[in-house]
Amino acid sequence: MTAQAQAAVKEEAAPAIEPEREIPTGWQPSILAFACHYCAFAAADLAGVMRLSYAPNVKIIRMPCTGKLDHGYVLRAFERGVDGLFVAG
Amino acid sequence: MTNKANKTKRGSVLIAGGGIGGMQAALDLADSGFKVHMIQKDSSIGGTMSMLDKTFPTGDCSMCMISPKMVEVGRHPNIVLHTLAEVTAVDGEPGDFSVMVKQQPRYVDAVKCTGCGACEKKCPKLVVSEFEQGLSKRKAIYSLLPQAVPNTRVIDPETCLYIQRGRCKACIKFCDTDAIDFDDTEKNYELKVGAIILSPGLERYNPRVRQELGFGRWPNVVTSIQFERILSASGPFSGEIKRPSDEKHPRKVAWIQCVGSRDPHNANPWCSSVCCMYATKQAVIAKEHDGSIQPTIFYMEMRSFGKDFDKYVDRAKDEYGVVYRRTMISDVKEDAGTGDLILRYADRDGTLIDEVFDMLVLSIGFQPHADAAEFAQTFGIAPNEHGFAQTTDFGPVETSRPGVYVTGTFQGPKDIPETVAQGSAVAGRSMALLGEARGTEITVEELPEEIEVAGKEPRVGVFVCHCGINISQTVDIKQVTEEMKSVPDVAYSDDLMYACAPDGQEKIKQLIKEHDLNRVIVASCTPRTHAPLFQDTIREVGLNKYLFELADIREQCSWCHMGQNEIATKKAAEIVKMNVAKARHLQPIETDAVDVTPAAMVIGGGIAGLTSALALGDQGFDVHLVEKAPQLGGLANNVFRTLDGSDVQAFVQEKAAAVEAHPRINVHRGTEVASTGGFVGSFKTTLADGAQFDHGAIVVATGGVEYEPEEYGYKDSEKIITQRDLEKQLANGLSPGQQHFLMIQCVGSREEPLNYCSRICCQDAIKNAIAIKEKSPAAQVTVLYRDIRTYGLREDYYQKARDLGVLFVRFEPEAKPQVKIVGDRLQVEAFDYVMNRDLRLHPDVVVLSTGLRPHPTTEKIGKQYKLTRNPDGYFLEAHVKLRPVDFPSEGLYVAGLAHAPKNLDETVSQALAAAGRAGVLLSHDKLGVSGIISKHNRDICMSCLACLRVCPFGSPFVDEDGKISHNEVICTGCGICAGICPAKAFQVNNFRDEQIHAMIDAATEDIFEETSSSDQ
Repeated sequence: MTAQAQAAVKEEAAPAIEPEREIPTGWQPSILAFACHYCAFAAADLAGVMRLSYAPNVKIIRMPCTGKLDHGYVLRAFERGVDGLFVAG
Repeated sequence: MTNKANKTKRGSVLIAGGGIGGMQAALDLADSGFKVHMIQKDSSIGGTMSMLDKTFPTGDCSMCMISPKMVEVGRHPNIVLHTLAEVTAVDGEPGDFSVMVKQQPRYVDAVKCTGCGACEKKCPKLVVSEFEQGLSKRKAIYSLLPQAVPNTRVIDPETCLYIQRGRCKACIKFCDTDAIDFDDTEKNYELKVGAIILSPGLERYNPRVRQELGFGRWPNVVTSIQFERILSASGPFSGEIKRPSDEKHPRKVAWIQCVGSRDPHNANPWCSSVCCMYATKQAVIAKEHDGSIQPTIFYMEMRSFGKDFDKYVDRAKDEYGVVYRRTMISDVKEDAGTGDLILRYADRDGTLIDEVFDMLVLSIGFQPHADAAEFAQTFGIAPNEHGFAQTTDFGPVETSRPGVYVTGTFQGPKDIPETVAQGSAVAGRSMALLGEARGTEITVEELPEEIEVAGKEPRVGVFVCHCGINISQTVDIKQVTEEMKSVPDVAYSDDLMYACAPDGQEKIKQLIKEHDLNRVIVASCTPRTHAPLFQDTIREVGLNKYLFELADIREQCSWCHMGQNEIATKKAAEIVKMNVAKARHLQPIETDAVDVTPAAMVIGGGIAGLTSALALGDQGFDVHLVEKAPQLGGLANNVFRTLDGSDVQAFVQEKAAAVEAHPRINVHRGTEVASTGGFVGSFKTTLADGAQFDHGAIVVATGGVEYEPEEYGYKDSEKIITQRDLEKQLANGLSPGQQHFLMIQCVGSREEPLNYCSRICCQDAIKNAIAIKEKSPAAQVTVLYRDIRTYGLREDYYQKARDLGVLFVRFEPEAKPQVKIVGDRLQVEAFDYVMNRDLRLHPDVVVLSTGLRPHPTTEKIGKQYKLTRNPDGYFLEAHVKLRPVDFPSEGLYVAGLAHAPKNLDETVSQALAAAGRAGVLLSHDKLGVSGIISKHNRDICMSCLACLRVCPFGSPFVDEDGKISHNEVICTGCGICAGICPAKAFQVNNFRDEQIHAMIDAATEDIFEETSSSDQ
């Protein structure tokens, strides 16, 4: 391996891990769901039709199938600050 | 000499009645190349269903379901609407009828009218509204309902001041387009059609006749249809539950069942089939609207016989606290001064009780229109003794006149899905009759050329829908609409009362043009049902239909966050923003068309399969009928008579022989489907016996089996038999003599583990009971039952059985009858609720009414074709109300017991419907492929074969040059390839990475901290 290549793979110092913080009272996680058009998205519709009440802090992105889920989506969502990701299909 | 068989047939059909059944028939026919003339007496199509608030058992909004259909009928190029019209004479023969139509003047020119409603606003004359059932007023110039199709107002000549007294003309003054025409006159004209479909619908019983119930005297006694309007968001109280006398919110609300039904002395003898379920639905919905309401339903028998109906009633009892009281109300009085109502009834032990309610709903039944006899005479068909169209169990949609078919409640009381199924059935029958004339009278729809949007800046239009109050009672629509105006690339934002209604759609089209919009968002209900409608709308003004997104703020926001208005409004705005973000990246999509193989495979050779196969064969398609057993006929091979006495064996033999002899039907007996491939329009099937064939559609009619009882000592004595055994014995000449036959109902039905009604057993018991009593009146028949469910016109036979002296004794599931064998005698113990004491009977024969189960192959077929089944094992249709015979997967249809337990006539209707639906598909030479498919970019593909390994459909393949190519025709657009592709060479149309990324970013807009990501 050349010196140049070695330099490229040289690990940078890992950022310090944040200490655990107290969860503030009243805090609500922000949740994003990836739902299959045919089942989970339909199930979310059914929940509405049946007037089932659930916490509003979840937003749904419709997928043609959960097989369409890309690791890129997951990483991007966490990077953008979501607290939880729900993949259903 | 003229040869009648060769006489040219007409490629057009007349449909008399524009309710949901007529509309289904119209759409099926018009979509498969026939011209349709729809005659409607009212000024708008829609019928009874358009008056309903919600529908059972799903609680779906009725208007949201029917409105898109009305719009589709209204704008279909092959459907001509003749409103305010009726037929006065019919002449001719099947294939070539001449029909005289009389049309009343509308006094408003549909061509000039924009539907703006200025005339209605200015009209000074207030009239009681028929549509709102007298609960509110309308003007003399009006729309029947806000979502009326056609959306042209109509002047009521009876109340118009100008027509009556010669002055006013306010409408003329305020009409900007000069559309009012007081010189309009009655028109009489002739239409030439090949077939006629009757779907005039129903009238409701007038409860004034039953004076003891107080309707018309006490203001807080309303009919069930009035209560539907009270529940409706677009009704007189905007969906708030109020009682008419003082607009007070009622607490205790009572329903009285069977008003005008099952009452041969004072009203109609038949059962109206739907009231038990609609009362349950109304109680549940009322409770949803106002949690403090305490509903009580007074009933005679709970007839929740349909698919998943019992489960709905259980939920109403257990989760909503609806009280069911099995008793009859003898008297209703008003409490002077309060307007409350005092209901008198006998409790279970006979004590008389006076209970006070705030409001009373009368569950009124169905009856034929007052002019039904005249109507039947005009069309030259025979009515039955009750004034409904005469049909038979084997020909449920055939009238006595060839070429004239009947659908819906004119054939007998029934619910929406059965009416829709019959709509498709009559369409199928008309197609079979007129087959060769298909396509001869239609016009091809011409769409404007698509506007070029590539390279143009996105100009997004946002339309936020109130959906009556479905969304607006929880979400602040104005606020969401305002907020969207500042979102990047949003060029226009507005709100609409009903986006899906004709006026809403017209407005969308107009605003697209006005503001040069090139991406459109409608924020309303689910894209799963409503996206296609709006896609067509934007296409009509030249936008590619994939430049559309539907933001679901009803099912996924207002309906699940009720009462949390502020937070729901915020969420709704976020949902719309996510869709705007996606829409900015939408690109037009060009779609392909594939060939359709004009042949069908029918799986199952029972009554359903035989009927479907014949109907398809008669339409001119090749049919492959696959039956597992060596013999055709299925379960019907064990049935001898129907309730109306028709010979089932003769019918089965006749159908089987016709199928065997049919030149287009290929029968594959004693085999089953081994493997299947392909897709809608071109399936490829290999059978276990090696036969291979291509076909474009599949009808699944795998049938059911009878439950083999474990209980009541069935296996312990030869004197304990099933209804089927008894039927066979009777057919073989059994003489009942003076024997005592004791029948036990609901064996293996309506209790865990299979807690559903098998629907046929009550009819079976009554059929056999009548046969016994008619053979030897000295014989004794006792029926132990939970609820006798002889719904619809079947009630006549229940009455007949009682008249013949058959005894009916009710039991409850907690205290089931006990069958014992004492020596060589049978002993049955039960509790009689009428006499309030134990009974001990010594019958000679115990007959068990066993239920139905799905056929064991249902599971296998379900897996083979990826078809979902309900918890009881029956196939799930695409939509319980409006798509009763379609599977969610394109090109597959269901009929018969595979769908749910049902009677023979219902199976025949459904089988004809499946054939009709399949016929619509097979009538096309080519089928448009969905635009939602995966697109492969060969330029960046590395042929790593990841896609090849994961695709369940085999659409990526190694091409001649050794690299990956993609067969788009069999691609379903699932995007598994796109997810796994490391080079991102696969992108699914409308779900492209940049579109999803944009949605993620928009969804996280308020939580994203800029500093945490510097590499954006």
